[in-house]
Amino acid sequence: MIRVENLTKYYGNLRGVKDISFQVEEGEVLGFLGPNGAGKSTTMRILTGYMPPNSGSAWVANVNVSESPLEAQKNLGYLPENNPLYGDMTVRTYLNFVASMKGMSGAEKDAGIKRVVGSCGLEDVANRLIGNLSKGYRQRVGLAQAMVNDPPVLILDEPTSGLDPAQIVEIRNLILELKGNRTLILSTHILPEVNMVCDRVVIIHQGEVAAEGALDTLAANAQVDSTIRVSAIGGVGTLSDKMKTVSGVDRVELLGTSTGEEAHFEVHAKSGDDIRSDLVAAVSAAEGKLTEIRQVRLTLEDLFVRIVSGERKHDEVTVNA
Amino acid sequence: MRNTFWICRRELASFFFSPIAYVILAAWTVLMGIFYSGAFLTYAAVSMQLARNPQAAAQYNITPTSAVLEPVFSSVSVILLFVAPLLTMRLFSEEKKQGTMELMLTFPLRNGQMFAGKYLSVLSIYLVMLAITLVYPIILSAFVKVEWTIISSAYLGLLLTGMAFLSVGLLASSWTSNQIVAAMVAFMVLLATFLMDVLAASASAPLASILRHLSLGMHLRNSIRGIIDTRDIIYLVNMNILCGFLVLRSLEYYRWRG
Repeated sequence: MIRVENLTKYYGNLRGVKDISFQVEEGEVLGFLGPNGAGKSTTMRILTGYMPPNSGSAWVANVNVSESPLEAQKNLGYLPENNPLYGDMTVRTYLNFVASMKGMSGAEKDAGIKRVVGSCGLEDVANRLIGNLSKGYRQRVGLAQAMVNDPPVLILDEPTSGLDPAQIVEIRNLILELKGNRTLILSTHILPEVNMVCDRVVIIHQGEVAAEGALDTLAANAQVDSTIRVSAIGGVGTLSDKMKTVSGVDRVELLGTSTGEEAHFEVHAKSGDDIRSDLVAAVSAAEGKLTEIRQVRLTLEDLFVRIVSGERKHDEVTVNA
Repeated sequence: MRNTFWICRRELASFFFSPIAYVILAAWTVLMGIFYSGAFLTYAAVSMQLARNPQAAAQYNITPTSAVLEPVFSSVSVILLFVAPLLTMRLFSEEKKQGTMELMLTFPLRNGQMFAGKYLSVLSIYLVMLAITLVYPIILSAFVKVEWTIISSAYLGLLLTGMAFLSVGLLASSWTSNQIVAAMVAFMVLLATFLMDVLAASASAPLASILRHLSLGMHLRNSIRGIIDTRDIIYLVNMNILCGFLVLRSLEYYRWRG
C-alpha cells in the first residue's frame, strides 16, 4: 500500500533523511518513531507529495508520488505536525472547503462531512469558529479534515502531541476505530501508544532506518542477552556462587536485600537460552528458598533509548529485521 | 476549475471576515469621493467663467468627461499603489505563516489552480471597487452629456492596470511569510515602475522612451483619454503573465526547500 525506496532528502547541506526504505501493507498501522529531528516529518512530507525527495521514490496507494502526485494525494489524508487550520472559518465550512479541495461534491460531500463530524465528536462545535476552539477540538478538526474523503491511506504526524491525558485517550480510541480498514502511518513520541495502536514500527535515527519490524519480534531480536531476576532467601554468598556455576551465566549482580533476608539478584546470561530451571536448581543446591524468578523483557522504551543513544553492545545482533 | 472556485470563495470569505476589507473599501470610497467632488466643483466653477467668455471656451475645449472624470480615473493608479499591496499581502504570506500552506500543497491541487483562485478572489474585490466608482459617471450624466465610449475605454485601462498591480502584489506575497514585508516589497516594486516616468524626464531620447514604456502609470494615460493602444494592453497583460509565472516558480521553490 505504501512503499518507500531509498528515499534521500537534503535541506541544503542539512540531512533530512538518507536512503530510507520501508513498506506498509494494506490495513496495517505503522508506528513511526524517532527522536526529534530524526527525519520523521521529512519522510511523511515526501509521502504526502508536499515536497519532492532528492532521490529515491515513494508509492502511496500503489501510485508513485513523484510521478503522479495528484493521483496519490487523492488517496491520502494527512495531519501535519502542528495541525495548521484556518482560524477564521467555522468547523463546518472548513470541512466543506477541504472536502471540495479533495474533489468531493454534492451528496457524497455532505455525507462525508456528516460522518467525520460524528466520528470525531464535533457535533457541538460544528458551527463555531476554529480559532475559538480548544487544542483538543482543534486536533479533532485536524483528524476530521484528514478523514473527510475516507482515504485508504492516513498519515498522522504526532496526532496526540500537546493534548491532555483524557484527550490523548480520545484520539487514541479514534485511531483504534480506524484500524483495520485503512493503512495508517503514525508518528509519535509516546511509546505506550505505539504498543497499543501499532502493528509494526519503524524507528529512524539520524535520517536512517535504525530498526523495523513487528513489535514483539523487534524486542526479541534486540534482546542481546537474557536477563533474569531472581529473589531468594538464603546465604547471599552461596546463592551467588551456585548461580554462577550454571552454564550460560555471564555474571550475577546483587541488587539488594530486603527484610526477611530476601536477596535480589540479576542474572545475565550469554545466550537466549532459557536457563530459569537451571537457576531454580542452583538456588535449591545453595539451600536457599526461591521467592521469585522472572525473565526481564526488553521494552520498546529500552529499545528506543538504546538505538537513540547509539548504544549497541553486541554487534553480532543486528536490530534490522 | 472547481478547486479554483473554492479557493477563491475561501479567500473572499476570509477577506470579509477581517476588518482589512472594510477599512480598504471605506478608504477607497472616501478617497475617490474626494477626488471626484474636487474635480466636479472645479469644473463647475471653470465652466461658469467660460460661459461668460465664449472666446476662451472655444480655445480650451473642455468636456465634462475630460475635466471631471479624467483626473478621477488617473488618481486610481496612485491609490492602487497603496491599496494593491494591502489587498494582496496576506494571500500567500498568511498561509505560509499559519502553516496551512503545507496542507494546501498536499491536497490534490495544482499550483496553478491555487494561484488562479487567489488571483480571482482579489480581482473580484477590485471589480467591486471599480463598480463603486461607476456612480461618478452616472451622477455626471444626470447633469451633462458624457462620452460613454471614452469611459468604457478608461475602465478597460483601469481593469488591466489594476490586474497588473495585483499580480505584482501576489508575487511579493509568494516570496515571504511576513505580510508587512510582502506589502512593502509590492509597494516598492510598484513605486519603482511608477517612478520610471519621472526618470524618463531627465533621460536622453532612446532611454527616455524605454523608461516611459516600462512605467506602469503611463499605460493608463492613453485609455483614460479614449485611446486603446495595443502597446499598453500588451505591456499590462505581459506584466500579469510574468508575475504569474514567477509566483508558480516561487511555489515550486517553496516545495523544494520544504
